[in-house]
Amino acid sequence: MLHDFSYHRPSSMKEALDFLAQNGPKTAVFSGGTDLFVVIRAGVAKPAHVLDLKGIPELGKISWDKTEGLSVGACVTINTLTEYPAVREHFPVLRSAGEELATFQLRNRATMVGNVVTASPCGDMGSPLMVLGGEVVLASSSGERRMPLSEFITGVKRTLIRPDEVVSRIVVPPTWAGAVGGYHKLKRIKGHDLGVVAVAMVRKENTIRCAISSAAPTPVLLPDLAATSSVEDVQKKAQSMISPIDDVRCTKEYRSFMVDIFIKRLMKELEAAA
Amino acid sequence: MKHVKFTLNGKPFEREVLEHRTLLHFLREDLGYTGTKEGCGAGECGACTVIMNGEAVNSCLVLAAELDGAKLETIEGEAAADGSLTILQDSFDKHHAVQCGYCTAGMIMSAKDLLRRNAHPDRHAVIEGIEGNFCRCTGYEQIIEAILDAADNGAAAEIAERTKGGDNA
Ligand SMILES: Cc1cc2nc3c(=O)[nH]c(=O)nc-3n(C[C@H](O)[C@H](O)[C@H](O)COP(=O)(O)OP(=O)(O)OC[C@H]3O[C@@H](n4cnc5c(N)ncnc54)[C@H](O)[C@@H]3O)c2cc1C
Ligand code: FES
Ligand code: FES
Repeated sequence: MLHDFSYHRPSSMKEALDFLAQNGPKTAVFSGGTDLFVVIRAGVAKPAHVLDLKGIPELGKISWDKTEGLSVGACVTINTLTEYPAVREHFPVLRSAGEELATFQLRNRATMVGNVVTASPCGDMGSPLMVLGGEVVLASSSGERRMPLSEFITGVKRTLIRPDEVVSRIVVPPTWAGAVGGYHKLKRIKGHDLGVVAVAMVRKENTIRCAISSAAPTPVLLPDLAATSSVEDVQKKAQSMISPIDDVRCTKEYRSFMVDIFIKRLMKELEAAA
Repeated sequence: MKHVKFTLNGKPFEREVLEHRTLLHFLREDLGYTGTKEGCGAGECGACTVIMNGEAVNSCLVLAAELDGAKLETIEGEAAADGSLTILQDSFDKHHAVQCGYCTAGMIMSAKDLLRRNAHPDRHAVIEGIEGNFCRCTGYEQIIEAILDAADNGAAAEIAERTKGGDNA
């Protein structure tokens, strides 16, 4: 059973933003609802209103352009994203991570935007978006702002979003288009569990970029490394930047250990693919 | 309350729904369509899987208020009025893919959706197709065999035929 809230489905951005300007603090916006209705059901969130973004046509759009890059609207589902030809062609790391997220049914509803707004340390889209330099576009009735995902996510389930704002889309600049890439995730069972720890990596020309999930309050992006770096160098850098904890899913030692293993596997894999 | 118009297994419906009602509870408690089951109520088990606008979804995480204009398919739309089973259902029966039956409605909906996307899935594709559905009884093997065998026996063509006939979508 869910508590008694009212349901709104605006059909334009203006209507949605006007509503949030008035009712923002008492409202939860949603697209897939695969995070929101779980926390509502658990009594953790008690919004007076829920605002369904799926009636706003522009938020359902995904597009690719050589200059702007990839633009993914707030209501684009993970299944649409991983099937999208430009994602398959230019950003294999996004596809690899998207396919690891939850289950097929959930991916028919879950969105990349919802995933990063939830800002769970074990969310699957944070680290791949960080290696690609993904940016979040926020809209409110007073205008638009845009910031790198690495600034947007500030802590465990904390972001810089204001109650009167929505994330309208995520933009992935073309900088890393064509990079070979992969995402390795440790979990107990596919679909029924969030990641225990995960590593995203891309490699283009002479550079490697790597980010780690579930090993600190936010995804950790390592500084760019030369493609000629040794596995040990990358592992050492990673270990100096993560701060894994013990929790119900595993110990911090196991997390650290698996970060090293995934770095080794990914470096091999990307070297072979490059 | 919110006014919604939708089709359920090909039949038009028009209802006032509670705005905080999940699709799962709306089906079971308001419409009396109790074939769809509630396991976890939180997206994990797949017992509540239905097909909405041609896509498998967990009905426990969808609101009934989202139904306006939707085409919904549930397990009640599978067997014919005279009780004769679809090829897919028949195959579950033959392969003993049902023990307690609690997961079955969700399994059938996921399998139906899979066969629509992929008429001849291999074993791996079947496993992926039901990745969101728990079964605590069968150990999955009989379910996988039932789906593979149904595919060999023309289940996808039957599903396509019934969809065209407006029977369930
Ligand atoms: C059983 C289960 C398994 C899961 N497994 C995984 C997994 O393996 N990996 C993983 O990363 N996640 C997993 N999740 C979590 C969830 O499915 C994902 O985080 C998903 O991407 C969320 O997207 P959504 O559209 O459903 O979000 P919603 O539930 O719609 O929204 C999530 C949050 O973001 C806010 N929000 C949504 N859209 C906007 C917007 N445009 N602007 C501002 N705020 C917004 C909402 O208010 C809410 O707080 C799982 C969930 C379940 C139930
Ligand atoms: S009841 Fe919906 S997934 Fe378990
Ligand atoms: S038959 Fe009992 S849960 Fe599957």
